[in-house]
Amino acid sequence: MKKNSFYLLIGCVALVLLVIFWYSIENSIHFLTEGAFIIGVVIIYLARRQVTDLVEDERSAKITEKAALRTLQVFWVLFAVFAIGTVTALFRIPRFPSGFRPPRPEELFANAGDIPSPRLIGYLSLGLLCMMIFLYVGFRLYYARKYGEWVVDEE
Amino acid sequence: MKNKIKVFRAIRGLRQEDLAREVSVSRQTIVAIETGKYDPSLDLAFKIARFFNVPVEEVFVYEA
Repeated sequence: MKKNSFYLLIGCVALVLLVIFWYSIENSIHFLTEGAFIIGVVIIYLARRQVTDLVEDERSAKITEKAALRTLQVFWVLFAVFAIGTVTALFRIPRFPSGFRPPRPEELFANAGDIPSPRLIGYLSLGLLCMMIFLYVGFRLYYARKYGEWVVDEE
Repeated sequence: MKNKIKVFRAIRGLRQEDLAREVSVSRQTIVAIETGKYDPSLDLAFKIARFFNVPVEEVFVYEA
């Protein structure tokens, strides 16, 4: 498979996922969009292995490795902040009620005004995911530039 | 680390593309090495030196 065909395939998969996402919202079938996303990722992964005109060498591996490591280093802090904040809000730890026990699942969202709603948690998770992608792309561009990706010479 | 890849290529009349194909890397990696933006691994350094049929220290010069 050629590189351009692969990029075209990614576009098609994204488009199909968008349609499935819309259909899932309309019909409240969240398993459909989750399953479709996993299948989409697997298709892209398998197709990526078939690309013949994309040279992967030690420099590109180093760029990927560095960008992934830096993304992880920044992201785990952001994710920890989000997780600690959410768990603190859900378990009402600041109040320290007498006879504290972890709440039962049906009690978790009882007082929606006081604690983050599942929808808010979903938006925040999506925001964090987008942030992770932007971080990765940013670090990738930085290291690609550092290791001479766009250096031009006389040839 | 300095290197003389450009000189050795010129002596043999090779393009960056040709050298890249011989040592199984992208042309951009050869460009990055020649311009000092990227230091190759030992494996790649030895591959390049072996391709030019010279000792590795003739192609690459370490600068502290």
